[in-house]
This record gives sequence, structure tokens and C-alpha cells, in this order.
Amino acid sequence: MAPPEPRVERFSLEERAVHWLVAACFLYAALTGLSLWSPSLYWLAGVLGGGETVRWGHPWGGVLFAAALGWMFRNWARQMRLDRDDREWLRNARAYAVHSDTGLPEAGRFNAGQKVLFWAQAAATVLLLASGAALWFPATSPRWLLESSVLVHPVAALVSLGGIIVHVYMGTAGVPGAFRSMVRGWVTPAWAAFHHPKWFRQVSKR
Amino acid sequence: MPKVAKLIDTSTCIGCKACEAACQEWNDNGFAVGTFQGSYQTAKDLDHDFWNLIKFNEIERAPDEITWNMAKYQCMHCIDAGCMTACPAPGAIFRLDSGIVDFDHDKCIGCGYCITGCPFDIPKLSPVTQKVYKCTLCSDRTEAGLEPACVKACPTSCLTFGTRGDLVQIAGARAEELREDGHQSAGVYNPAGVGGTHVLYVLKDADDPQSYGLPANPRVPWTVSFWKGPLKWIGNIALAGGVLGTVWHYLRFGPSDVRPASVAAADEVDRGPA
Repeated sequence: MAPPEPRVERFSLEERAVHWLVAACFLYAALTGLSLWSPSLYWLAGVLGGGETVRWGHPWGGVLFAAALGWMFRNWARQMRLDRDDREWLRNARAYAVHSDTGLPEAGRFNAGQKVLFWAQAAATVLLLASGAALWFPATSPRWLLESSVLVHPVAALVSLGGIIVHVYMGTAGVPGAFRSMVRGWVTPAWAAFHHPKWFRQVSKR
Repeated sequence: MPKVAKLIDTSTCIGCKACEAACQEWNDNGFAVGTFQGSYQTAKDLDHDFWNLIKFNEIERAPDEITWNMAKYQCMHCIDAGCMTACPAPGAIFRLDSGIVDFDHDKCIGCGYCITGCPFDIPKLSPVTQKVYKCTLCSDRTEAGLEPACVKACPTSCLTFGTRGDLVQIAGARAEELREDGHQSAGVYNPAGVGGTHVLYVLKDADDPQSYGLPANPRVPWTVSFWKGPLKWIGNIALAGGVLGTVWHYLRFGPSDVRPASVAAADEVDRGPA
């Protein structure tokens, strides 16, 4: 039997549980939302229990998603603040994408890309929640709010979905080891030293 | 099948509400007792079980000179119907060959997008069934060769049912007649902003439809048209592009693998400072 790999704890049980709760709510809200986005995707509603179920479940799924994201926000908002290095990182984001890494400042626990995703999702969720609340009650919401919400809601959803497409790729195929860190909670020291050197130095000092 | 229409000649409406009663009766919507709103008008607005309302618009042209610009209000059966544009459930709102816009309540999911899409504020959500209702132009009668219940009940021939082509002509002629009688601004209300409607009005004050409770220039809200038009394509292309983009990235650049230098650095830390 091979000796156990050395492990560095990356995400606590709470962080992982909240992440997957957010993910499950997102998946449900996204699929039900897509089924109402266009009649050509309405077949999704059939898969998800029919149109009336979707109309009932989508707003509740959204509320649950926002609540779960609020919990995630409480866990991570402080660590997601962008510092000087992060701004420099973003200016050289291209280098990160093509794996050249020249001119990229070292990342802390979260790199600038992850931080931008976090804030984009937070902003999109605020917009989705506000416009969604209006669309939930079409009989009582004022007209101007309904008319703006039918535009704000899908635009915010597109931003959110776009971010998640990149996030899912980065969290699975794009960065080997990332998925395990969110499922099992740990990474190898080499992984930490390579992807998040600043964070690795902090945790190995302890 | 020829396109049908209903013509409402407001100049001969006496506000008898026979059309309201006939509509309730035929559509089996019952007669709920409302609350007094300080007006002869039956209710403030249409409702999920009240699809036909005569608006008693009190207009004060000069001091002590009040006129009633009465106008029967119901679904306009627009040619460019905002409710249909907005609806996400295929078949829930459909158009008959006659031009009538009708709802299929088995398919309606009660999302209420049609409420946002309608520039006339016609469809109403039932809090009981969670589905949306409005005037059907009595499609169950007209498809059988009968006239709508409201037209059948009207005692002054203010209401006419027929083919749309005929009624557009009759409406024009009646407006001309009114102008000859001294009503300078008489005209036909057949708003171009929604491509015309299958419910036409003759108004004495056609230059001021709002005095009849009718929107001056109704249009499907641009946010609804934009969402169901360009945004749908922009969004679909962006999402598909995003997914294909990640695939392309993986094929072109591969995963971000840990490099040997980091492995060495990590080993060093592992061993700890001497």
C-alpha cells in the first residue's frame, strides 16, 4: 500500500457543505429558469415536473439559493477582498489563461479570478432576487418594475450562468486537484504551492 | 377563414352594462358583489372573473359641463400580441385563424409574463386557480357562427361583430359621419403600435384616447420585445460559446498542472527549516 499523500486542508466541512448547497440550488434555479427563458427550452419544464411545478419551484429555489449564497458570503466575503496584487493579477489574467504565468503575482487563498467570480455572483444574485421578487407577483407588482425586471432578470442570469460555466471548467478539468479540494477538503502541498503560493506559506508557517 | 373583429362605436354607448351582464352570463363568471368606488362604473378594473368593463370616464371640458366618455374595455386581440410574445409555455396562448387571441388554461402555468407583455393591462391572474384569464371574444360562440355575447346583448347597436375588413370600413364611415355632425376630432382607434387590433373603436375624441381610458400609443414593452428577440439570441450564443470556449481552451492549453518547481518548493517546506 502506498503511503498516504501529504495533505493540506483547503476547505472546511462547513465551507464544502455550503458550497454544494449553493451549487444544488443554483442547478435547480438555472434549469427551471432556462425552461422559462425560451419556449424552445420549455421541454425542460416537463422533465422537472411540469410548467406549473416549475413556476412554483423556481422562485422558491431562487430564495433558497440566495439564502445559501448569503451563508457563503458570510464565510468568504472578507477573504474575497481584492488587494493590490489581485489587481495586478487581473491585468495579466491572459498569462494565467495560457499557463505562461509571467508577471502574475502570487495568489493567496483565492486568486483574483475566483474573487471576481464571487463578487459577480453576489451582484447577479442581488439583481436576480430583486427582479425575481417582482416577477413572482405579477398581479401586484407595479408595471415599471415588471417591465424592467423581465430584462434585468435574464441579463443577471446570463452573467451568473456565464461565470458558472467557467467556474465548473476551472473546478474540474481545467485545474486537476481543484474538484477533490471541494469534495474531500484537502490538496497536496505541491498543489497549494503552485496554485496559491501566498496561502501555502501562511498555512505551512502554522 | 376571414379575420373577425368587434367594433365599438362609443358615440352610441349608453352605459347600460348589458354587455357586462351578457359576458358574465355566457362565460359563467358569476356575479360577485363589489364595493362602491364613487362611480357608476361596475368595478375599478377588469378581473380574472370579469372580462368586460364599461369605463364611465367623466370628462369636464368646461366648468359645469361634464360628459361621459364611455368605453367598453376588454381584450383588444392585438395583431402584434404582447401576451403571446411574452408567454413561455407553448400553446398556452394561441391565435385562431379568425385572429382571436385565446388562452388554453390546461397549458397556462400562471407565470404572468402575459400581464407584463400586454400594453392594455388586460390579462388577470386568478388567486384561486393561479392561471390567467381574459376576454376570448367569445371564441366558443364565434367559431360556431354566433356573435359574441356582448354584441348580442347590446341594445343600441354600439357593438358590431363582423369581418375585420368590413368593420374597418364601417368604422371609418361612421367617424366621417360624426365629423360631418360637428365632432371635429372623431376618428377610429385601431392602434398601429400593436399592428392594429381585432377590437376597433369609433371615438368622438380620437385625438385623446386617454379620455376614454385607452392608451394613446400602446406598444408591446420594448423590454419584452428585446428579451424575446435579440437577447434570446445573444444569450444562447453566449452560453453555447462559453461551453465551447472551455472545450477549446482545454484542447489548446490543457489543464493547469502543478509544475516540478512547486513540487520541490513544497518538499522544502515539508522538511521544514533546518
